Amino acid sequence: MSLTIAPDPAAMLEVAARSDRHWWRRLLRRPPAVIGLVGVAVVAIAAIFAPLLSPYSPVAVDPAHFLAPVFSPGHLLGTDELGRDVLSRLIYGAQPTLEVGVVATGLALVVGVPFGLVSGYYRGAADMIAMRITDVVLAFPYFLLAVGFAAIFGPSLPNVVVALGIASLPGFVRIARAEAMALREQDYVQAAIVTGVRDRVILFRHLLPNMIGPVLVQATLTIPGAILGAALLSFLGLGERPPTASWGTMLADAQQHLFDDPWLAIMPGLAIFLTTLCFNLLGDGLRDLFDPAMS
Amino acid sequence: MPDILEVENLQVRLFDRTGPVLAVRGVSLSVGRGEVVALVGESGCGKSVTALSLLRLLPRDAEVSGSIRVDGHNVLDLSPAQIRTIRGGDVAMVFQEPMTSLNPAFSVGNQIAEVLRLHQGLRGAEASARALELMRMVGIGDAEKRLRSFPHELSGGMRQRVMIAMALAGEPKLLILDEPTTALDVTTQAQILDIVRDLRARTGMAILLITHDLGVVADIADRVVVMYAGAKVEEADVYDLFQAPRHPYSAGLLGALPGSALAQEQAGRPRLAEIPGMVPMLRAPLDSCAFAARCQSATDECRAQAPLLEQVGPGAGHAVACFHPEPATTVSV
Repeated sequence: MSLTIAPDPAAMLEVAARSDRHWWRRLLRRPPAVIGLVGVAVVAIAAIFAPLLSPYSPVAVDPAHFLAPVFSPGHLLGTDELGRDVLSRLIYGAQPTLEVGVVATGLALVVGVPFGLVSGYYRGAADMIAMRITDVVLAFPYFLLAVGFAAIFGPSLPNVVVALGIASLPGFVRIARAEAMALREQDYVQAAIVTGVRDRVILFRHLLPNMIGPVLVQATLTIPGAILGAALLSFLGLGERPPTASWGTMLADAQQHLFDDPWLAIMPGLAIFLTTLCFNLLGDGLRDLFDPAMS
Repeated sequence: MPDILEVENLQVRLFDRTGPVLAVRGVSLSVGRGEVVALVGESGCGKSVTALSLLRLLPRDAEVSGSIRVDGHNVLDLSPAQIRTIRGGDVAMVFQEPMTSLNPAFSVGNQIAEVLRLHQGLRGAEASARALELMRMVGIGDAEKRLRSFPHELSGGMRQRVMIAMALAGEPKLLILDEPTTALDVTTQAQILDIVRDLRARTGMAILLITHDLGVVADIADRVVVMYAGAKVEEADVYDLFQAPRHPYSAGLLGALPGSALAQEQAGRPRLAEIPGMVPMLRAPLDSCAFAARCQSATDECRAQAPLLEQVGPGAGHAVACFHPEPATTVSV
């Protein structure tokens, strides 16, 4: 069959859509997002390859050098009060930090998104109940939750993860709910219903993939919050036990030497600050990318 | 064998913020096997609501009464599982907006395959092969490549072809086309209509065409049902209706067609005629003719009671609901 070429505005839109296809290429055109991406990659590499990258074991004590200053021979970033290499502890400390951030966020995502999806698609009484529960969680200080868990189960990393995961839930429930409410009105959802698919298929096959963008943004913006929370909780001794290296416990240990060796506090503090910043930059970049008003 | 679609005394009440709306008021309608019936009317006349109610697609709070029989089964009595086998199976539906009716997250081949999996039990390579075949049937060139295309890579006409291919995937006995060409440019419209006509000849499926475009009706319909304010005002063979519309509303619609002799005769000048006013939104039952306020031949009788649908000439099966039908003289259109 022969096709007549007609001036078609749809065709022009199509060309525009095509150049937008590789979203990651557009992401790489935003300097802040690139900085964020690089920073996150550095932390991830440090966490994964810690045994290869760090010069010493994070718990190895060097009896010859207690509280060695920065740039001392053999210890680039000095040692702490027990003579442990700060650089090594910093590198190893990336592990629990990233772990808590990613796992707590993942937990919140896996539970929160289906919850919000169902609630936003069906609306009605179930939706109202779900939203009120979300409000309660939002109003409840995660800090208290973590203290409670520590009191009942003893302080440990999994407790911190669960507490932070619960605290991060409302964000995911709300974003998935808002997206589901908007997407359910789309013509293609009606078109899918007309082909006779089940509700379950509509929800998880037709709606879910179309909300990946906003959910991904929410995740990248939740991770830094969880990292900060984890640092705070381990600073207070509610998280991992010594001698495990984590940025929060390093900060706690540095308290006594704030005046004689401030670098002990500055190093992990800087690590927390920069990691959080990088995740936020990446999240902002992704959000701009998925926000049609911005692009 | 019963007709593929038999609708009797369909009544639909919808609810908006301010209260109930009588969207469909006692419509009866039948579509024979292999027949093409057009449901015609202005925006807001209830034609789309009628179409949606056939597959129970109305909002949950809508009140639907009467009977809708698809291949003998009363749609209003079916369980959710049973209605799912009819949707996309016995009855397929294509909507007005091809630009937004495909899921942007999946390739078109994937979306056609989903219907094949659901209604034909085809999987994997079998489903792909059949999807390819369907895409060729609806005139998509380079189908192997298009199978992997995403909706945003296709033009409106191509997407509407994909929608039709998806509708065909369930091998429907009845295809409901809800304004299938409204969103397309004229050349694409003609191509889509060619495809629909060709498919009907090949598959023998019946078609219920919802449209306000009388050009499309003249092109492919066998029979026409004209709706106004939620009720059927005229029903006739397509030739009878275009030759001699009996309801003033039908005559007005035809008169508003550009280039029609009727238009020029009515207006007395080579300008487009129009029907003054708008379709009323009915919140309570009416004890007058719904069209009376816009009708030039309306009398006190029209304002006092509602006319019933009655058989009139010239052709067989020509019915009109009007106290003062237009004369049956033949007008060349």
